Amino acid sequence: MSVTVLVLGPIIIGLILYALPKGAGALARGIGVAVAALTFLLIAIKPDAPDASLPWLSRPFTAAFHLGYGPISYWVVLLLAAITFSGLVALRIPREREFTAQMLILQGSMTGVFLAKDMLLFALFWDLMLIPVFLMMLGWGRPARGPRSHGTAAWRYLIYNVCGGLTLLLATAAFGVVNGSTDVIGAHAATISVGYVWGPWIFAGFAFAFLIKTPVWPLHTWMPDTYAELPPPVVAAVSAIQSKAGLYGFIAIGLPFLSEQMRAAAPLMFVLGLIALLYGAFIAFTEDDAKRVMAYSSLSHLGLILIAIFSFNPIALAGAAVYIIAHGLFSASGFLTLGFIEEREETRSLSHLGGLCAGNPRLSGALMISALAALGLPGLAGFAGELLILTGVYAAGFWWLALIALIPIVIAAGYMLRLFQTIMQGPKRADLPERHDLTWNEGFALVPLVLGLLLLGINPHAVAAPLENGVNVVARSR
Amino acid sequence: MPVAANFATAADIGALMPVSIVALTALVALFFDLLAPNATRRLLAIAVATMGLVAAGIILWAQYPTSYVAFGGAFLEGGYSTVFSMIIVIATIATLTLGLGVGRDDQVAGSTALILWSASGAMLMTGAGNLMTIFLGLELLSLGLYCLCAISVRATAREAALKYLILSSMASGFLLFGMALLFGASGSVALAALAAAKPSLLLFLGAGLFLIGIAFKLSLVPFHVWAPDVFEGAPLSVSAFMSVVTKAGALAVLGRFAYAAIAPGSATAILIPVWTVAALSMLVGNLAALSQTDMKRLLAYSGIAQVAYIVAAFAGQTASGVRYAIFYLAAYTFMNLGAFAVVALMSRDADAVVGVGRFAGLAYRRPWLAALMTFFLLGLAGLPPTAGFTGKILILAATVSGGYAWLGGVLILGTAISIYVYFKIVRAMFTRVDEAHVRDERSPNGLPWITVVVCAAAVFVLGLYPFTPSNVLPLTH
Repeated sequence: MSVTVLVLGPIIIGLILYALPKGAGALARGIGVAVAALTFLLIAIKPDAPDASLPWLSRPFTAAFHLGYGPISYWVVLLLAAITFSGLVALRIPREREFTAQMLILQGSMTGVFLAKDMLLFALFWDLMLIPVFLMMLGWGRPARGPRSHGTAAWRYLIYNVCGGLTLLLATAAFGVVNGSTDVIGAHAATISVGYVWGPWIFAGFAFAFLIKTPVWPLHTWMPDTYAELPPPVVAAVSAIQSKAGLYGFIAIGLPFLSEQMRAAAPLMFVLGLIALLYGAFIAFTEDDAKRVMAYSSLSHLGLILIAIFSFNPIALAGAAVYIIAHGLFSASGFLTLGFIEEREETRSLSHLGGLCAGNPRLSGALMISALAALGLPGLAGFAGELLILTGVYAAGFWWLALIALIPIVIAAGYMLRLFQTIMQGPKRADLPERHDLTWNEGFALVPLVLGLLLLGINPHAVAAPLENGVNVVARSR
Repeated sequence: MPVAANFATAADIGALMPVSIVALTALVALFFDLLAPNATRRLLAIAVATMGLVAAGIILWAQYPTSYVAFGGAFLEGGYSTVFSMIIVIATIATLTLGLGVGRDDQVAGSTALILWSASGAMLMTGAGNLMTIFLGLELLSLGLYCLCAISVRATAREAALKYLILSSMASGFLLFGMALLFGASGSVALAALAAAKPSLLLFLGAGLFLIGIAFKLSLVPFHVWAPDVFEGAPLSVSAFMSVVTKAGALAVLGRFAYAAIAPGSATAILIPVWTVAALSMLVGNLAALSQTDMKRLLAYSGIAQVAYIVAAFAGQTASGVRYAIFYLAAYTFMNLGAFAVVALMSRDADAVVGVGRFAGLAYRRPWLAALMTFFLLGLAGLPPTAGFTGKILILAATVSGGYAWLGGVLILGTAISIYVYFKIVRAMFTRVDEAHVRDERSPNGLPWITVVVCAAAVFVLGLYPFTPSNVLPLTH
């Protein structure tokens, strides 16, 4: 029951918010914050909530409205609630009512993606979660290349991702027909077989969707503009959670049911992951737009997770789980902080920013924490994930992979410190207006994320342990 | 066989009851129009027609479980025909309420009667068991539409009507010639006899010509060129009517022909062109819709692709395929009529031209209308949470299990293109514009709102609970 509330609650309340009078923006935002906080509490106090299932299709294959926690999805959904909360707390945006409503619908639909235990339901929420982002980008986006380009990024985002969603749908239909049921996520892998004829096609359909979503080179071109244009709360949610849907799909659907095809595709995925790692890191080093620096660093980090998943090593997989959450935490806090900076200085161009540290010490501290976590400082969450992944990949016998993957991690220190340095340090810029430091609201918004970074850095086992067990079960069943 | 044995029994008449009711209601509407005072003519005609259609719908509902071969096999009453007829009846009601009839006050009774006769023709097609009934139904359907297209005084309307008349007559010619050859091959006009006929050149040629005629009515590529022009020229309600009813009738005939009128041995050879044409329609229909700026043209092209999706469900002639085809037809009916009703709400009268540009900033002027339009467009694009999504997955499953997975692949490709088409409108609606630059017309009455809301509810509910009728396998005996 409670898992159903987590998915439908935000969506329904989001729709109800539209019925509020137009002037009730603050009230709507208050409701939004309360809903996000309540969902967070509901997830936190009942980690063992039972699955909820209702029959849906009986032919041509069985499908059900089946929702429930899985080993990684629990933490992802918890993080999502925290990010929605943070985003709404720090929100300063016109038309608050509509924005809050869209934010809640986004939260509900993304929660649905991660809690879906049925592949058809997974595909349903997969498509559904694109729509609020598209609408928010149209309504509130700040075009990177002047007002004339308004909507182009939204457009590209939608087309890319819906194409992925469609191949996902076809693959799901094929899986359903071949297997007889799509109600399989989290089920025992030995009972599922897709056959040699259909297996590669089904995997190709899934992989195409997952790779667009992650994204990897060369399917990433929608991503930098999307991240740059979206308002901070949305980009925090999209970069932290939505981009993980593809990786989650590889773990929850690919590993158990399509492992033969995954093994066969591993070399290709390694290449794609390495390109994403290196390419993202190098571009991040040269980008001038602060949000695009973060965007390309995401590309790089997610490439590392992709490699980890395809290395088929339990340690690397545990690392992937930790890093999925860690990346969510620091990219969300990073994008939120960059949003605060953009709001104050009305630019996010690194060549126009500088010397903010002196006037805004707290703001600079906030950016510092995100940057340090992103570059993998020991003690923060990013480090734990990276270490586990590299150890696992090395242990799986791909020592060369681990070695190459080290390079971008070093570059990460470079571009993250460059980001911090150009924005915060150096002489004060005369052309930048003097604005107030981090407000209480904004600080309060960052608290849960920073706490998460610290806690996960100290105790990565909390996230990793259930997955290790899960993977062992998978390994044994083969 | 003595003639008396073939003469109509009470059960025969009963099987044709819904069709007759719809056809007779038209006469009643015309009669009442003679008596009615001027102010109430419009409402009275619509009210009478709606009542007649509802009565027909109730009888169809009651008839659904029975199957009966009426008039010696000319009309086949059964789940298949009743479900298709039900969709036709619903679409006709929606059409009538969409613009409160077609034409001026003194034309409404006449145009309503024509719509009803057209609908009865389509209903006849759904149960047609021999070639004669198919042709009778098709001509009854088309004759009304020729007049309806020409009813407004605009030059484009007359052009549309003439174009439709000429091209449609040519298609009827193909159909009729095909029927003649089929008769020659099988020695009978009954579809059942066709299935027993030995494969011969005559049979293949006849089936090919017959299918060309049907493909024309379905406006499948390359027989689609009439559709956008006619849809653009015709009054809005008539376009809405054609987009569903004509296609439902032709689909019913195609389904029965593909499932029951061809011997299994020659089925693949005869039908592979149909699936190819469907695949082509998915791509060309959506590609052509990309560049359209007029809503009616856009919906015409999108309809070409949508019908092709339904035809794809027939591929492989699986028992479940026909159920999913009917489900998607119902979903398409509601999504498409919903979109048409939104367009109706944005136009002053049935002749208004609604360009895509008129949708600019709609979300800020009329948020509810924009939200519902978005919902219908999501459905047409096959995105959740709509019946379009569920229908697509069912059709994909049908193509995969029917052995035509490539058709599913083309469907995905076509859908990917259609995302551009539909989201072009969504994007326009949610982009802020200067109010001064947009013409904000409204419909004279709120009646289309009923259609909009009912359609939206149906699209949502069908998406969650895909109701696929079980007793719908098309038979010929």
